[in-house]
Amino acid sequence: MVSPNVSIKIQGVAFDYEGVDALSSVTFDIERGRFTGIIGPNGSGKTTLLKCIAGVLAPEKGSVLIEGVDVKGMQRREIARTVGVVPQSAPMDFSFTVRDVVMMGRTPHIDRFSTESKEDAAIAEQAMADTGVANLAERTFDGLSGGEMQRVVIARALAQRPRILLLDEPTLHLDISAQYQILELVRRLNKGRGITVVAVLHDLNLASQYSDGIVLMSGGRVAAIGRTEDVLTPANVRESYGIEVLIERHPITGKLQVVPYQSADRETARAGSGRRVHVICGGGSGAHAIRLLRERGFLVSAGVLNILDTDHDCASMLGVPMVSEAPFSPISDEAHRENLRLIASSDAVLVTDFPVGPGNLRNLEAADAAVIAGSSVVLISEEGAKRDFTGGRAGELLARLKAKAKVARSLDEAVELLRG
Amino acid sequence: MSFRDFFDALLGTGQSDYMGIIIDVRFPRILLAALVGCALAVSGCTMQALFRNPLADPYLLGISSGAAVGASASMLLHLNGIETYILPLFAFLGGAGAVFAVYLIAKGAGRGRIKTETLLLSGIAVGSLLGALTSLMMYVSGMQFRSLFFWLLGGFSGAGWDTVAVACLPILAGVVLLILFARDMNAFLLGEEPAMHLGIDVETVKKVLVCLVALITGVAVAFSGIIGFVGLVIPHAVRLMLGPDHRTLLPASCLVGGSFLIWADVVARSALGSGGTEVPVGIVTALCGAPFFLYLLARGRKW
Repeated sequence: MVSPNVSIKIQGVAFDYEGVDALSSVTFDIERGRFTGIIGPNGSGKTTLLKCIAGVLAPEKGSVLIEGVDVKGMQRREIARTVGVVPQSAPMDFSFTVRDVVMMGRTPHIDRFSTESKEDAAIAEQAMADTGVANLAERTFDGLSGGEMQRVVIARALAQRPRILLLDEPTLHLDISAQYQILELVRRLNKGRGITVVAVLHDLNLASQYSDGIVLMSGGRVAAIGRTEDVLTPANVRESYGIEVLIERHPITGKLQVVPYQSADRETARAGSGRRVHVICGGGSGAHAIRLLRERGFLVSAGVLNILDTDHDCASMLGVPMVSEAPFSPISDEAHRENLRLIASSDAVLVTDFPVGPGNLRNLEAADAAVIAGSSVVLISEEGAKRDFTGGRAGELLARLKAKAKVARSLDEAVELLRG
Repeated sequence: MSFRDFFDALLGTGQSDYMGIIIDVRFPRILLAALVGCALAVSGCTMQALFRNPLADPYLLGISSGAAVGASASMLLHLNGIETYILPLFAFLGGAGAVFAVYLIAKGAGRGRIKTETLLLSGIAVGSLLGALTSLMMYVSGMQFRSLFFWLLGGFSGAGWDTVAVACLPILAGVVLLILFARDMNAFLLGEEPAMHLGIDVETVKKVLVCLVALITGVAVAFSGIIGFVGLVIPHAVRLMLGPDHRTLLPASCLVGGSFLIWADVVARSALGSGGTEVPVGIVTALCGAPFFLYLLARGRKW
């Protein structure tokens, strides 16, 4: 017995699509009234899965139940009255008006021997109003912009009066404002009408922003499924897409954001050959350096960094060992000692061009101590930047460092020097 | 014959030989032209929807070349001397057989699913094979050559009440059935998958449409030979006037196609004066149709 909360039940679905985009034993439930995003790299089986749900492809193994009924046993008309599909856009050589195209959505409700009733016309008008294309009704479909076409296709699907809406990359080829408008529209239909939405989405950020739950497909299987927070992790993305990403909260929406960064290939990773580098930074001056050094194969540590500092966020996201200090607090004796210990166990020290105030002056003292102890210290120094907020003390220390340490004009130069 | 003679004949008060010409020669000929025009235009519409291509025509699946083989065979075997129905029967069987072969090839290639691309290509292949067979038969036929050639170009000179009676039922029934599939054809224009999403059993509908087109085009060709361009140009002209919606396009093409062929036949009969010879109607339709078709191509707009 299928729970009434389950809209679509996918049980052990397998499909061999001449090798590509195949599915093997995919099993999960889609809850009624939810917005489910399906993500995954190209060829991971997302579209095939959607076609199996829509009944366009028959699974070779397993079954898809829609509201408890096996799709295989349903007539096309029955499916079309329950499931509306917004396919990847296809061009059309015939000039139908927008109203004609939307009216086609009534096809599964109209008998072969009848014509459209007033009710059918009213439903089509409503669908156009709901999707904001009522003013385009008399225009020809093929003269519309990409975003307008997609709205019309959604209106056509709505005219079917579906309880489930399947979308296959609805934002493909759209500019960024149209992408958001389309997904806002779909979310409105989802939350306002309770239409269950299943959307294959290319863009991980859009998927995160609009989905209640996410299915991550990889190699024809479900690699991860659940809440956005549980699915969109750097490890999952690395595993499925083979790229490094930062996952962070959007400062305004609070939704997860995926920011890719270059992953090191083996050649560049060999450059650092495991040398230990301690990075003394702060105020966002070290984030880029920490990432780059790690990528080049250095073993990186950092400190002392105040919690909430951008460099601290970056180091903790990358899992770099570091010495932390409470937010906006001066460096304590304990933290300073810990920092010196990390410096002592490193092969080299990188001092970035960070702003120095009374709170973090000790970081500069630690660098000075490293030079005195005979460590290899590289200082990044930009001309003319005001870095001394201590009334002169920092300036003195910096001048001493410049005299004794190796000075680099850029990060790349610094990396060269750190290789030793 | 004057208008006066014509009306007298209709009222049964005229000279009896005029009555004979009008009732037994002209009327069936007009009706057959209308039926054939109607069948070809509606078939053309259907094929254009099926292939989502406004340049498709009723002969795309090898019906014409199959019918030509059938007709040539019957002439070559001197069967048409025995009975007037032999040639149409052979032509129909040839046309239907060709479509059936094309269909089976496409089905085999698509592992049970009919892909329209495969259907089109196997139509072309089978068509050229049968075309070569026809040429071969024409080559060896010698004396029969002229009448075979004349048949291939199409015409209504064989029309009589008996042919109208035989052609009438399958063509009218087929056309009405095709019109009932107007909504499905509209959905087909969106593409096969979107049509499925709208609740249409695409594979079944494709089979039904191919069968109906084979039936009505086969019958039309059997009684009138291969009349070109009607099935291609009429749907176009109507679409330009009324738009692509098959619920109006199909019935309108039916009427326009019928009237067009009636007039084309009038021209064919009277083109070379009343000297007794007539131009094959296929030449007339090609002379009007081909330039119009070129105009459409040059216009290059959407349909």
